[in-house]
Amino acid sequence: MMSRGSMKDVIDVMQLRQTKGREFPPVKYEDRVNHFSGARFIFECGLKLNAQPLTIATAAVLFHRFFREADMNSYDTYLFGATALYLAGKSKDDGLKLRDVMNVSHSTLNRNSPPLELNNDYWNLRDSIVQAELLLMRMLRFEVTPDHPHKYMFHYLKSLQGWFESDQWRRIPLAKAAFAFLQDFHLDAAVLDYSPQHIALACIGLALQCYGVTVPLTDECDGPFWYSVFADDLNKDKMWEIMEKIMGVYDKESEVPTA
Amino acid sequence: MEDRLRRYEKIEFLGEGQFATVYKARDTQTENIVAVKKIKVGSRAEAKDGINRTALREIKLLQELHHPNIIGLLDVFGHMSNVSLVFDFMDFDMEVVIKDTNIVLTPANIKSYVLQTLQGLEYLHNNWVLHRDLKPNNLLVNSDGVLKIGDFGLAKFFGSPNRVYTHQVVTRWYRAPELLYGARMYGTSVDMWAVGCILAELLLRVPFLPGETDLDQLTRIFQVMGTPTEETWPGLTSLQDYIQFKPMPSQPLRNIFSAAGDDLLDLITSLLMVNPLARCTCEQALKMPYFSNKPAPTPGPQLPVPTSLNGRKQDERPSLKRKLLDAVDGGSLAKKLIF
Repeated sequence: MMSRGSMKDVIDVMQLRQTKGREFPPVKYEDRVNHFSGARFIFECGLKLNAQPLTIATAAVLFHRFFREADMNSYDTYLFGATALYLAGKSKDDGLKLRDVMNVSHSTLNRNSPPLELNNDYWNLRDSIVQAELLLMRMLRFEVTPDHPHKYMFHYLKSLQGWFESDQWRRIPLAKAAFAFLQDFHLDAAVLDYSPQHIALACIGLALQCYGVTVPLTDECDGPFWYSVFADDLNKDKMWEIMEKIMGVYDKESEVPTA
Repeated sequence: MEDRLRRYEKIEFLGEGQFATVYKARDTQTENIVAVKKIKVGSRAEAKDGINRTALREIKLLQELHHPNIIGLLDVFGHMSNVSLVFDFMDFDMEVVIKDTNIVLTPANIKSYVLQTLQGLEYLHNNWVLHRDLKPNNLLVNSDGVLKIGDFGLAKFFGSPNRVYTHQVVTRWYRAPELLYGARMYGTSVDMWAVGCILAELLLRVPFLPGETDLDQLTRIFQVMGTPTEETWPGLTSLQDYIQFKPMPSQPLRNIFSAAGDDLLDLITSLLMVNPLARCTCEQALKMPYFSNKPAPTPGPQLPVPTSLNGRKQDERPSLKRKLLDAVDGGSLAKKLIF
């Protein structure tokens, strides 16, 4: 475990830009503002801040829920993105420092600009985040701990593991792919529309499809299916609908304006 | 939000701390008396960090927890730049009861308090929550004699196998030996130890192990319970802050708690096992003969009420105020969490 927070009081933004920046095509966030770009912003800042995946997922859910209620034209999308990340850090005990969140989001929005000076602008931004945090919590009726699909997926995968030869399970990165799909699905506000159990199963289903592996009860016409034992209220149509939504995330990703 | 402000009609001011103001109020919708804890988000001068972590923890955990022996978070609302938490109003706490020399605590009264504490705690543990700050003034009692565990500012979900926690929790006198030895992975046993210390305090009417430093605390524990060894507590010597104490024999608890029966001594012994893995769980404790033996626990309405409350002397009720304020102040050492 990293000792979070104790040593790094301020994250070295310049260094991050050099090392981590290359992993992402630099997105020009201000060029297009929508739900997807806001969540994409949360992901990028979260990764730079070394936030836990569940913290990022929480932030994305808080963000999407807020903009289900609020009009994007009335509130600064990225201010609320940064705020959702900061609040998620507190809620998940993932000590993200406010100053780090501010610096990282500033440099993500204004690439190659110098770090924030400790001047009036700094304090105004800090004030804005604190005010936005309160508004966010009030809009969400103080319900800031979503029920994540991750834990369900973990148990489903554990159960499915028994159908595989241990060698096959090691060779095919099913779990890794399923978790990647799940995390990426949080880029889309559609993540709010389905139960955590159904989302977890759709991510596993998609991973099975990708690697062309089957478990018993994969190709039945009208069930029961392999996932019926985990969620008897999930039918084939719903399953495919969620899987298509997950794949849709990657189309949206390619539409984000880059430099 | 204006509705909410009007919904809770201020009756009296209970106290003010750095981060919160507490009022007694009437809920005009239900006519119930409630406690409204108004958390200030802070002014610009004090480099505000937004919503207080302690308050967020309380909101997060208490929203999901509902049990007769757990303080109820009835409502949360925001107004201007602050957040208010609405709790069940509790008339006094166990510290007041213990210190009130006019109150006689009968064996049946003590059984009732311990039973209610363990029932609330069993619910918490079954829901994967550690309280981590049990002490007499976090056990709140209302005039119907219902005991509720309060102050969730340090509480935390547990159970993730690789999660590391700070050992700087629990007020020293109620802190379990594994915490004093710097254990970073611990479980429900830390709350059980605290219950043991509280039970002992109910019998003695003074704190059982009032250590002045962490080292003194361990000394006091071992003077009574005996110095543990690698045999009685496997893994002991590999704890982070382990230091060797000179071997001391354990004292017969019968000599310390002369008024306690055998069934009660058995319970105390199980709660105060120095080895955390040998310490009993809530479920085990509740199944011990003490709770089914006579006398039966005193029914709530017949439990004693502090004289300060009987006389309704306003200036003699500082403890509840202090408790509610402590919770948000981070005032005592134990409140500082290191992540």
